[in-house]
Amino acid sequence: MSLKVENIVKTYGNYKAVDGLSFEMNEPGVFALLGTNGAGKTTSIRIILGMLSADSGSVTWHGKPFCTANESIGYLAEERGLYPKYKIMDQLLYFASLKGMRRQDAQKSIDYWFERLGIEEHRDKRAEQLSKGNQQKVQLIAALAPNPELLILDEPLSGLDPVNAELFKSVIRDEIKRNKFVIMSSHQMATIEEFCRDIVILNKGKTVLQGNLNEIKKGYGRVKLTVKCEGDITAMSQECGLTATEETPNGSSYNVKSEEQAHALLNKIIESGIPLIKYELREPSLNEIFIEKAGGKNE
Amino acid sequence: MNNSSAARGWQKVFGFTFIQFVKSKSFIVSSVIIGVIVILLVGGLNIIPKLTGAGDIITGSGDTSVDMQFRTLYLADEAGILTDEDTAALANYGLHFTASDKTTDKLIEETSSADEGQAVILISADEDDGTISGYSVKVYYSPDTDSASIDAAAGFVSEMVKYRNVINSGVSPENYEASQRYVNTSKIEAGAGEWSVFETMINYIVPMVVSLILFILIFAYGQTVAQSIATEKTSRVMELLLTSVRPLAVVIGKVLAMGLISLLQFLMICILGVVSFAATAPFGIGGDIMKMMDNPALQTGQNADIAQALTSSFGTLSPLTFILIFVIFILGFLFFALIAALVGASVSRMEDLAQAMQPYSLLGVLGFYLAYFPVMTTMNSLESGAASISGMQMFSYFFPISSPFALPSALLLGTLSLPQVLIAVLILAAFDVLVAVIVARVYEMIILHNGSRLKLGEIIKMAGKK
Repeated sequence: MSLKVENIVKTYGNYKAVDGLSFEMNEPGVFALLGTNGAGKTTSIRIILGMLSADSGSVTWHGKPFCTANESIGYLAEERGLYPKYKIMDQLLYFASLKGMRRQDAQKSIDYWFERLGIEEHRDKRAEQLSKGNQQKVQLIAALAPNPELLILDEPLSGLDPVNAELFKSVIRDEIKRNKFVIMSSHQMATIEEFCRDIVILNKGKTVLQGNLNEIKKGYGRVKLTVKCEGDITAMSQECGLTATEETPNGSSYNVKSEEQAHALLNKIIESGIPLIKYELREPSLNEIFIEKAGGKNE
Repeated sequence: MNNSSAARGWQKVFGFTFIQFVKSKSFIVSSVIIGVIVILLVGGLNIIPKLTGAGDIITGSGDTSVDMQFRTLYLADEAGILTDEDTAALANYGLHFTASDKTTDKLIEETSSADEGQAVILISADEDDGTISGYSVKVYYSPDTDSASIDAAAGFVSEMVKYRNVINSGVSPENYEASQRYVNTSKIEAGAGEWSVFETMINYIVPMVVSLILFILIFAYGQTVAQSIATEKTSRVMELLLTSVRPLAVVIGKVLAMGLISLLQFLMICILGVVSFAATAPFGIGGDIMKMMDNPALQTGQNADIAQALTSSFGTLSPLTFILIFVIFILGFLFFALIAALVGASVSRMEDLAQAMQPYSLLGVLGFYLAYFPVMTTMNSLESGAASISGMQMFSYFFPISSPFALPSALLLGTLSLPQVLIAVLILAAFDVLVAVIVARVYEMIILHNGSRLKLGEIIKMAGKK
């Protein structure tokens, strides 16, 4: 057992920002902390990092109370921050020294990441001279340079162009291969699905869904049906008790109660002789699950 | 978590803050400007009085003549009061009159169209019913004539007319001189010491200058602490820092770094002041005063008063004085910088900082005026000569808001006894501890607060909670 967050509660006045969050990361991999804006993700991350103290509950790392100063953590905050007037290299060496790195080791590690992220030429520039994307790379270097065991990435890909987003993803994949514990928070569900094994969805501080992503999806079953035909199938779908939730050029989408219901519609279409272009019965995507769990209930 | 582990890592924050601030263009430029101002100010204060002749009077080496810029100078004594002896005496002051048979009106007319450096001094008697009621001295000068020479000439001639008028009334020169003795009126509370005019001036100028310098350094660098912390908070760098160190370590590192920078700039001012004084001493009044202090033969008359004032005002200086000033500076800086740190941490947007700083600014200005204002009232002592310290001045030495600005000059001038100074320092230190405890308590709570600016009342409420 490595990271254990147990029933943490944080209240501001009468508002419960986090209400009994619990999860465990027993082995390296990526854990997703999801929620709409204001759901309590950042507060939870700050409590895990030790920046904020919880009203109750505990965070343990390798079985011991978590202590920021003692642990090797890399953190990429949602709202990026660098000293605008100071040189990039000076800042990175400072952040690394705060993590307890020796100057030579820090220099070596930072050099590696400069090269890996393709920003060697910016090392002696001031932060204000860099583009937003390059500033984000510098922040990622600050998080990765000390080679942390636990990496917390809050919206790591926001604001990046597709090329740099892919570069960041490749870095995250490398970190996973290096057996890192990664907590990721993002609104880009495709990215979460790509990387995360376990998830927690928060809504107004409360955990509304939690567990292994594959199992959660399996738990839902294949309940998402998409059909595209060359004729109108509205009457047939209604006979099967289905109403389209979405009509797009790619077809009509339905929420089915069972696979049998979907098969019944398929049989009717085949019997009617209407040419069938697409028939897809699948598990819900994380995006769909997220909207179901956090969407309608949000402010 | 105890405070020592909460402060772990402050040295790294200190080092980074110090190096980055010292490397910054704004610091380098401001230091150069301050340095140049100090050099020019001290050098100027040293040299300019010498140029006006004050230094010569101190060393006794000068004569009483003035460098008059007259090419041609006529005396039209229509009142017939001055004697040859008087005009000879005026020549000693640089007034060499040209004889002329022309009428006064003609001389004035010629002067109006003459080149610079020509003047006519007209002395006339004002009569009332056949009795002389007074004399007029008028200087008619050509365009662009040196105004200082005109003023000096008018002054010397007027004095000579006054002198001759009294002598003509039957008073002997000895009696005239005796009648010119000054009468100094003093109102002194029984039991209080007495200050000469020079002592009073020293006791006025030194606290004023010292409290002003300390105010600028302590208050301005306190503001820099607030700005630095607010920048880190609002730029979200703070979040990154807090994954490695506790907020208390950030505030301690930052406050101490700024304190050291402030102290170094204070030392720079002192060193440059001394260097500038030493470099200009041979040409300045400072050198004359030093010569006079080294030579008891020169310590006569007015010089005796100056020597006595310098000895009594600065005679108590010792290494301990400077150690205590150093301690007071540090304690004073900590007091204001810790409060500034709280202010900086209370804002979520940089544009709120100016408004949030208002109470801090009021506190600083109040402290400065408490230290400075009683000194201004000392000006009254220029007339009275009473060496007493007002109740408000004494209060400013012990009140922690004003004591950092007031105590150092009290130490320099020996205004307070050592036990009194130590008590004042202890009070200041106690308030520092109190502020530090409050900061340690609430800083962690407010540094990650985002949204509306925290009010003073909310911060105090936080301090009251466990």
